[in-house]
Amino acid sequence: MSDLIRSLFLTAALAITPVVTSAQAADMTDVNEIVSQSNLAAYYKANDGRSEARMVITDGQGRKQTRQFTILRYDRDDGGDQDFLVAFSRPADVRNTVFMVAKHTTSDDDRWLYLPSLDLVKRISAGDKRTSFVGSHYFYEDVSGRNISEDEHTLVDTTDEHYVVDNTPKDPASVEFSEYRVWIDKANLLPVKIEYKDSAERLYRRVEVLEVKDVQGHPTVTKSRVSDLVSGGMTTMEFRFIKYDVGMDRSVFTERSLRKLPREWLKRPKS
Amino acid sequence: MSRMLVLKHLLPSLFAITTLCQPLLAAEEWGDDSWGEEEESTPWHGFVELSAGARLDSDPVLPDEDLTLADMRAQLEIADYIGGNRYSLKADLYADGVEHGLHGELREALLDISPGQNLDLRIGQQILTWGTGDLLFINDMFPKDWVSYFSGRDDQYLKAPSASAKLSYYNEAANIDLVWTPLFTSDRFIDGERFSYFDAMSGQQTAQHLVPLDPEETPDNGELALRLHGTQAGTEWALYAYRGFWKQPNAMTAAGDAYFSRLNTYGASVRGNLGAGIANAELGWYEGEDHRGDDPRLPNDQLRLLVGYEQELVANLTAATQYYLEWIQDYSALTRTDGNSRFRPDEKRHVWTLRLTYRMMQDNLILSWFNYWSPSDEDMFLRPSVTYRFDDSTSLVTGANIFVGEKEHTFFGQFEDASSVYARLRYSF
Repeated sequence: MSDLIRSLFLTAALAITPVVTSAQAADMTDVNEIVSQSNLAAYYKANDGRSEARMVITDGQGRKQTRQFTILRYDRDDGGDQDFLVAFSRPADVRNTVFMVAKHTTSDDDRWLYLPSLDLVKRISAGDKRTSFVGSHYFYEDVSGRNISEDEHTLVDTTDEHYVVDNTPKDPASVEFSEYRVWIDKANLLPVKIEYKDSAERLYRRVEVLEVKDVQGHPTVTKSRVSDLVSGGMTTMEFRFIKYDVGMDRSVFTERSLRKLPREWLKRPKS
Repeated sequence: MSRMLVLKHLLPSLFAITTLCQPLLAAEEWGDDSWGEEEESTPWHGFVELSAGARLDSDPVLPDEDLTLADMRAQLEIADYIGGNRYSLKADLYADGVEHGLHGELREALLDISPGQNLDLRIGQQILTWGTGDLLFINDMFPKDWVSYFSGRDDQYLKAPSASAKLSYYNEAANIDLVWTPLFTSDRFIDGERFSYFDAMSGQQTAQHLVPLDPEETPDNGELALRLHGTQAGTEWALYAYRGFWKQPNAMTAAGDAYFSRLNTYGASVRGNLGAGIANAELGWYEGEDHRGDDPRLPNDQLRLLVGYEQELVANLTAATQYYLEWIQDYSALTRTDGNSRFRPDEKRHVWTLRLTYRMMQDNLILSWFNYWSPSDEDMFLRPSVTYRFDDSTSLVTGANIFVGEKEHTFFGQFEDASSVYARLRYSF
């Protein structure tokens, strides 16, 4: 009996040991590598992607607004320049409004807004990145991703589940935070919680992932929330009908698509 | 309806309607899982709107016209695909309490066709815009509706539709847009009906209905507008050309009738990131029929120029400024031949604009300021407004259009008595 138990324990230990070892081996220690890998996991999955999204915006008084839109993304280089097109379908007063970004890692982003009732292509300045994205608690930068070279990163903790990284801006005047802490899931390298502190060390903003699903082998955030911890307002965003590697090219992300929506890529995929 | 009556009854009733609607119109959450069908369940959209505007001072030549705006309007829109081709219909029906009557307007009735992979053709009634100016237009020769703009209607009504065909060719290096408008479509200019204007012939403000002679409807009198454009390292560039007519009737026949004289324009623009903001510059050469500039009944050639800069000052507060120049060519010929007119425009008209936009309460409250100021004409046009969104469907806009001028004949100064305040309540679906 005792032999049996011993051998079972031994077997179990032998079975477990390699797993533990591999998990320990997988622990990264170079914070820049962690941040870089996490950036790829969060914003550069596959070569392109399309998703429908909707937000519920709740202000501090509990009043709600909604937004619904489809996002197209195209990666020019992994971890490098990217194109985004965001086409709004609801509510009525923003329907068919289109937002387009050419995100650059070494220079300012190019950003456009198309207002269909005036057939007007407006340019938006790159400086507004930490401004509300269409009235929500998300910033423009939360949608397209903050350039990782704009912050200094410090690995402050490695827990069983997370890498915990503190980030301070290289140009503090360009942002409203003094630092933010990111919890990166060790299993899929997705940032699952971000907390922002102001210059008084006060925690005032939180971004959290509420749901992750596997889409074509890519762990993908399908629900997240931003909370304004000062006003009590929050925005919850859900993603659905996500598809990667649909085969877009760069020509989708031009003025042509602002004036004439690229239906081929915006329409919901069959599967 | 008198001004007082409007202020006493109509505006409070707008608020009352909104308050009553509140519980009914409260934005729903996504709780019912309404992501919509693959093809939109209802392709119908639009809005209903009540709007009212009243003069701040009465206009002596329009003594019975205290209102500048009294619209009850519905806009209905449907857009869908037939095969790979998209069509869009957008029509307005409105009861107008100022120009009295029920009016219909087709804002859009168009079909998109792609005859080739790099070719798009859009034909039908459509709104067209290009150029880099903010409420200043140099190379955008598409029709504008100045009456709506002055009266406090939604900004979208500044652009009037035209029945046109737009052919676009796309290419990595450069894109080409060619717009053909077979029947000349003028601006909806200030014609004395809703707003009076200064008449240089009589030297007086007048509300006499201005009915100019339209160009004959011949193939040669159609309008052609061309744009060659592209983006180089994030900077947008464009070259423009236009063949048609002045969009305002600023020429006069020997018999004294106003008409639209021939005009060709050529221009260029650039726009891109500069510092923390966006800079733009645009140039236009306006070449009319009066090549020597010595015919006082025809407008002289002009050089037009604008430079602008926009930047976010602090989060959610954006400021933008523009400098604009209208430079009359052959000015000395004009001064020799216009009979020493007291109302001769300056050789160079300088205009500055300032726009401030502050978005608050998750974009539910938007404070906006826009003004034109001309140091040469010594006049101004101020356009403050406040937009409040009650929810995703209902919004209220209040604002003012205020004209200030030292002289009776200048561009904005002549409209001093058109200054007004307005409110618009809209339910969108």
